[in-house]
Amino acid sequence: MAHDKPEAQTGQYSNLGPYFWTFTAFLAVFTIIAIVWFVQQDLGTWLPEAAVPADEIDALFKFMGVFVILIFNIVAGYTIYFAIAFRRKKDMPPDAIGVQTHGNAKLEFWWTALPTVLIIILAIYSVQIWRGLQEAQGDVLTMEAIGHQFAFQFRYPRLGQPVANDMHVPVGTPVTLHVTSVDVIHSFWVPEVRLKADMVPGLIQTLRFTPTKVGTYRIICTEYCGRNHGDMVATLHIDNQQDFGRWFAGQAQAQHLASVAPLDLNKGQAQAGQALFGQKCSACHSVGPFDQKIVGPGLGKLLSDTAHPKLVDGTDPTPANIAKILQNGFQGPLGVMPNAQANAISNLDIANLDAYLVSLSGQK
Amino acid sequence: MAVAAQHSALAEHIHPEPQGFIRRYVFSIDHKIIGIQYMVTGLIFFVIAGMLAELIRTQLMNSNAKFLTPDQYNGVYSMHGTAMVWMVTIPIVTGGFGNIIMPLMIGARDVAFPWLNMASFWLFPPAGILLFASFLVGAPEAGWTEYPPVSLQGPPGTTLWCLAIILIGISSTMTGLNFMVTIIKMRAPGMTYTRMPLFVWAQLATAAINMLATVALSAALSALFIERVFGVPFYDPNKGGSPILWQHMFWFYSHPAVYIFILPAFGIISEVLPTFARKPIYGYKMIAFSSVAIALLGFMVWAHHMFTSGMAPWLQLPFMILTMLIAIPTGVKIWSWMATLWGGVIHYSTAMLFAMGFLITFTMGGLTGIMLGAVPADLHEHGTYFVVAHFHYVVFGGTFMGVLAGIYYWWPKVTNRLLNETIGHWQFWLTMIFGNLTFFPMHILGLEGMPRRVAVYVPEYTDLNRLISFSSYGLSIAFLLMFINMAWSFKYGKKAGPNPWGARTLEWMISSPPPYYNFKRIPAILSGPYDFGSPLPYIGLDSELERTQSHTTIPAGAH
Repeated sequence: MAHDKPEAQTGQYSNLGPYFWTFTAFLAVFTIIAIVWFVQQDLGTWLPEAAVPADEIDALFKFMGVFVILIFNIVAGYTIYFAIAFRRKKDMPPDAIGVQTHGNAKLEFWWTALPTVLIIILAIYSVQIWRGLQEAQGDVLTMEAIGHQFAFQFRYPRLGQPVANDMHVPVGTPVTLHVTSVDVIHSFWVPEVRLKADMVPGLIQTLRFTPTKVGTYRIICTEYCGRNHGDMVATLHIDNQQDFGRWFAGQAQAQHLASVAPLDLNKGQAQAGQALFGQKCSACHSVGPFDQKIVGPGLGKLLSDTAHPKLVDGTDPTPANIAKILQNGFQGPLGVMPNAQANAISNLDIANLDAYLVSLSGQK
Repeated sequence: MAVAAQHSALAEHIHPEPQGFIRRYVFSIDHKIIGIQYMVTGLIFFVIAGMLAELIRTQLMNSNAKFLTPDQYNGVYSMHGTAMVWMVTIPIVTGGFGNIIMPLMIGARDVAFPWLNMASFWLFPPAGILLFASFLVGAPEAGWTEYPPVSLQGPPGTTLWCLAIILIGISSTMTGLNFMVTIIKMRAPGMTYTRMPLFVWAQLATAAINMLATVALSAALSALFIERVFGVPFYDPNKGGSPILWQHMFWFYSHPAVYIFILPAFGIISEVLPTFARKPIYGYKMIAFSSVAIALLGFMVWAHHMFTSGMAPWLQLPFMILTMLIAIPTGVKIWSWMATLWGGVIHYSTAMLFAMGFLITFTMGGLTGIMLGAVPADLHEHGTYFVVAHFHYVVFGGTFMGVLAGIYYWWPKVTNRLLNETIGHWQFWLTMIFGNLTFFPMHILGLEGMPRRVAVYVPEYTDLNRLISFSSYGLSIAFLLMFINMAWSFKYGKKAGPNPWGARTLEWMISSPPPYYNFKRIPAILSGPYDFGSPLPYIGLDSELERTQSHTTIPAGAH
């Protein structure tokens, strides 16, 4: 332990340093105020809690936050205190040395043991919350989310076709969401639900949550998935039961009508196609010339491009052949264009898109 | 005495210094020259990678900026991360500091395998050039982690990326082997393991990780390369591969790699604090042991990067608990360093300021690490700016604060000139202010919902992003001051002499810069290096130096 002799050289203050207890009292008050302030924060005002595990995850975050504030304040506080209290004074001889101590077994035991206890408490609490995330609820809506470059799709039971970009769930009904991908790894994240799962091709992962707050929330891709990763966003609508029922019935009917409608290219409307292009195609295709590629080629001059007289599948650029690619999809060198079913486009949609693409070429 | 006999035998073994510029400064086998080569090359790449960071921040000034195209942006952040990890941090902390300082500290004349050392270094510039050349053919865009399948679709530069990292990986593996053998076999007589300076302990633990973990990365990279070039499906699930396989192999290396960054910085801090507090390091054995504990535990936590990736849910628990356990040895170090400050006579040198700043900023990074380690919280935080904030606090607030302390500490040993302390103090305060203003707000952005690796964001995040961007420019100015200071030192810096700080480890017992063979006679070591006020624990040092040393560092009547 500390030799007595060097003490004379380090100065006349006590072992712990001048005003040690005053500083400690100040730091304690400051830390307590900080912790109380933090605990009283409603994290939901920073970011709404829209589903059930969000509140538990926030509680865990808060619990950890308390210890982070405590430990950070101790480390930063005493580092600054020691740096000031034990600074070399001007009147000290140039060869002044500090207290020649090598350690203290008791102190070292306690500062190993106490954090260990904290870690154990934190681990137990985390495991408890983790178990809640794994448990299946009773009467649930089981559905699927599928990642595409660069859009989300949602499959519902008793709905033949997937729905693109908008996920509707009824408030209060537990949701079991299976997520996967058709191309590269994406990630499904709704910040307001506080849950995230990577959408991995060839793998199905499960998220469980119970929506509690009606509203619309952003579904964000959080795993880099290609050039337009930053734009890969969908909307989660937490509806009340009636709204959800209405929406679901409307989807079912629209899908039925679309599925029985034959493909009739004459029914296509360029204006409707343009809107659809923005939703379904523009992530991968520009409306510029062929070489203005995003993932696939630019589609602005499909019918009038002398440098590329054929379509990508080698056929002549006729409206019927364009419709065929829209229906069957295409495997390109940079990515896969989903077929009509995977892309959730109906025969009417195909006719509209076709009309729009033809109109683009006509303008040039 | 046996020691004396050993001395004379070793003394006869001195080779003459090679003559000629090429053998002395280019293809040198001298560990000090190689170390300087690593530092200079690493700092050049640091400047490039730092400029890439400013490009990122300039793009993010506005929510929907068109400063960079999406392709350029993705390339820029991927190259920033890759270069900072493999071309800057690892070469500087192992190849740079390790090479220059470690052999001097153990009283060796060079590393165990000097030619291997030269080969290690000469893989590094080609690797860096290969990496940056990928900008010419389309830089990799999937981040420094390059997860397949999207990296399989990536631009041609992704293939160059694989080759560059394989090359630097071979270099790291060889350096790890070299340092392990050096530290185990070449310590001066009397330097038992518990008398080694803590920087050497840190380098030993780092070398073990470098040697054992890097091969996993090399295997993963080779498979990615083969899949990209020859189409053998290791990772593409449509052809029967597994994309998760890459993640396991990648993180089996890349989590220990975090300890490759931080352990040498721990070592630097453990040297700087006792020297400028004029006190023995507090709890030497616990600090040394915790380095080894961290290195061991570091191999068992890799999947905490993959809690959302897809693995058996129960498997999350052991990885979570082991991750949290790392906080214990790390905490022991922090407490020991703080206790080293207590009761000291603290000199406010720039190196010391960076070491004390390290305690604060690194603790921040360590604590957010625990927050990310708890699985349920990670499900929210993963893949967001919270993670970006966390690892920048660890690598910038930890490793780089340590590196800056090390540069200010050992610069006089390498150049025999002092750096300007006024510029140094300015650099420290600017670094602390702008570093925290750059990286702290990222926590909030991440928790509020901003994902990482995006070139555009929703307008609500604009204010914080602008604060971060402006602060990052301030941080650049702080680094600019360091380079100005170096230039100033070459022109006006005072001659430092062998031991300007009154430090007690062996590298300060020889002239600055050290002679070609470091020690004319290998000294014998009598006790640990940190007992200020006691006679130096070395016998058989070059006699003249020994005399001047004992007069300057041992206070009269202090024994």
